[in-house]
Amino acid sequence: MVKIQYQFKRSTPLRFLSHLDQQRLFQRAFRRANMPVEYSQGFNPHPRMSFALAMSVGLTSDGEYGEVIMSEDIDVETFISRMNEVLPNGLEIVSAKICDEGVGSLSAALSKSVYQIRIKVMPGTELTELAESIHSYLALPQIMMQKRNKKGKYVEKDIRPFIESIAVFADPEKDKVNVEMTLIYIEQQCVKPEHVLESINNQNSAVFLIDPTIEIHREKLLIKADA
Amino acid sequence: MNNYIEKNILPLVTKPITYLGNEVNAVHKIPSPEMIRFAFAFPDTYEVGMSHLGMKILYGLLNEEKDIWCERVFAPWVDMEEQLRLHDLPLYGLESMMPLNDYDFVGFTLQYEMSFSNILNMLELGKITLRSTQRKEAEPFVIAGGPCAYNPEPLSDFIDIFVIGEAEEVILKIMATHREWKKTGGNRQDFLKMAAAIEGVYVPAFYAVSYDEKSGVITAFTPLIEEAPATIRKQFIEDLDQAYFPDKIVVSYTETVHDRISYEIFRGCGRGCRFCQAGMIYRPTREKTVPTIQSKIKALIAATGYDEVSLSSLSTGDYSEIETLIKNLVCDAESGKVSISLPSLRIDSLSIEMLEEIQKVRKAGLTLAPEAGTQRMRDVINKGVTEENLMDTVKTAFEKGWGHVKLYFMIGLPGETLADIEGIADLGQKVVDEYYKIDRESRNKSLKVVLSASSFVPKPFTPFQWMGQNTPEEFKNKQRHLKASIKDRKISYSWHDSGVSFLEAVFARGDRRLGLVLEKAHQKGCRFDGWGEYFDLQKWTEAFAEAGIKPEFYALRNRDYDEILPWDFIDTGVTKKFLKAEAEKAVAAVTTPFCPENCSNCGIMEFKKGWKCNG
Repeated sequence: MVKIQYQFKRSTPLRFLSHLDQQRLFQRAFRRANMPVEYSQGFNPHPRMSFALAMSVGLTSDGEYGEVIMSEDIDVETFISRMNEVLPNGLEIVSAKICDEGVGSLSAALSKSVYQIRIKVMPGTELTELAESIHSYLALPQIMMQKRNKKGKYVEKDIRPFIESIAVFADPEKDKVNVEMTLIYIEQQCVKPEHVLESINNQNSAVFLIDPTIEIHREKLLIKADA
Repeated sequence: MNNYIEKNILPLVTKPITYLGNEVNAVHKIPSPEMIRFAFAFPDTYEVGMSHLGMKILYGLLNEEKDIWCERVFAPWVDMEEQLRLHDLPLYGLESMMPLNDYDFVGFTLQYEMSFSNILNMLELGKITLRSTQRKEAEPFVIAGGPCAYNPEPLSDFIDIFVIGEAEEVILKIMATHREWKKTGGNRQDFLKMAAAIEGVYVPAFYAVSYDEKSGVITAFTPLIEEAPATIRKQFIEDLDQAYFPDKIVVSYTETVHDRISYEIFRGCGRGCRFCQAGMIYRPTREKTVPTIQSKIKALIAATGYDEVSLSSLSTGDYSEIETLIKNLVCDAESGKVSISLPSLRIDSLSIEMLEEIQKVRKAGLTLAPEAGTQRMRDVINKGVTEENLMDTVKTAFEKGWGHVKLYFMIGLPGETLADIEGIADLGQKVVDEYYKIDRESRNKSLKVVLSASSFVPKPFTPFQWMGQNTPEEFKNKQRHLKASIKDRKISYSWHDSGVSFLEAVFARGDRRLGLVLEKAHQKGCRFDGWGEYFDLQKWTEAFAEAGIKPEFYALRNRDYDEILPWDFIDTGVTKKFLKAEAEKAVAAVTTPFCPENCSNCGIMEFKKGWKCNG
């Protein structure tokens, strides 16, 4: 048995896949590619595969991670080429490596996510003012956000430690801006980019128009070294 | 339009990916002016329509032709419909996202009477003129087929061309005729006349129907032009084994009602259950061979990656080589971890040992359909299943560890009495008793017996096509009586009558006069009538009143044997004489045997010269 860790891209044609849709898609792709995927034991055997992160509907990404356990040895080039032959347009495996089965899971080794966001802003918003506003936001010692915990209760969480950087740039479309955000994983916890934008709106005067037309793209997903 | 929808509308709706048409094995072609553009329209949601086998066959068949591009369109969910209307955007075919009214053909499959309002809604959203006689020259030809096309009349105001019977060959003839017609440069009427000459094609605009002023029954059904035949002969594929079946099918990204490969192993059914329209209209029985089935399923698994295959037919246990087939398929499937499922199993047709062979992994609930509670009623409807068959089956199932059993029944069958209703509860109780006879160690820890009783709707081309449906009051009474007769807590039973069965009965045996009702109901916003949360009886009642039509005339009335029925112009091969004889036998509770055992001369062998049933 052998564990393969692979990196893949998801682009616009398939950005509306839910996490479960994507799981199903990969399961079927493994079959079409005749991959010797290992199955779990028990009443309801399922293929032993997972993604480092669940992708939300609408997200595109240049760097997602997945893992799969194969019952036979397979070389990396074959894996990548056979999978890319069967994967639909919108998903593409960019790299893969073989690791020991005992190697820790990827979700435990997440380090940072770098996001590029295209979002509408209040008409008349000046880029320089916006940049200053974000600068003061980042200078705050604490940024509290309400979050629902597993028991359904609302708790307050300080999200400042999760934010490494936020920068804004002009967008070709009028009344839109590009936001580049680097967010950190601390003990497998993170904060969502939409929530950071909401929080900026709350702290300063609302400037981002957060609606379903927001485009969030994960440019990079960084893993801790030696993972 | 595509980009606009993708960026601004899809992020706002549920299951946005079902509006894009970019699934694995979806067909994308580069359009050209000579190409025939065909939109296969399933009049319900994506999740429901993607499980429909007929669409998969015709989609593949049409796309094999270089100059035809067949795409799919489904009824948009209410949130998507709202967005389309808000932005004034037309309903479109999924693959190319072309507006529906730009297609050459929009083809609907008529699976269920309660989907008719969705048809009108989709035409309107597609910006296609509803009434066929008012359609402009450049508009698509609206074509329809499927089981409900055996009584096409309620939809005749809106459909240009009906296909009666199995469409695989006829549809290609229609396409060929279209190519010829384009060369002639003729108009719409010219094409319709050319199409009417194809056997199996019914063009309603070329016929007139007259009614008796007093009684309201049909007095005449008359062809208006010589190209229109007085009788339409249903079409069927003779050599099913050689018939086209695609090697690839579209794989949905989202969950659909049936997330698996559905492969047809035979068509038709010789059991002759008297309530069952499918058993009558799909005659004769034709099987595929074991090698064909095996190789096709292999190809489909390789092309899709699905891990479940379902063997589809009207009575899978009756397939002549079922044991061999199952053994072979389980063998093939084992290594790839593919599971085989067999829905539609008659209680008396398959041993539990066989069932176990396939469902090695999970013991899902066992579903059986006795259909009636007493032997007398089962004989009336010619469902030859005995109580002994049922008890043997559940006994073995319980011994093997099954704990969940669902039993399907119908209420409102001809000659039914309250004693027959009590029989349903009795059977449920007997099933519970069988469970308790098994010793505690072998049986499942818990037991659940679910009884389901639907309201019987008489259908055209069955022996019961002349009977009035039970009234809503009679149904309520019987359901209440059934509920009161159930004593054991292990038996669960629920029912609710929203009026859907009544409406289904109206449209199943309706005539052309219902077109106006349908139009009004659509104008009032009726759609998704098959979905409990959207069915609105009040709106329908208003529509009938405004159209001046009494629905009871269609649903509740007993017809005389010599009355002209709206569907009489169709010849299915099974004769009226046979149906009448069956209706009479039903009154006396006399059964008719399974046709391979003893031919009852239903007429199908005379229909097609040289055709021999069962070999």
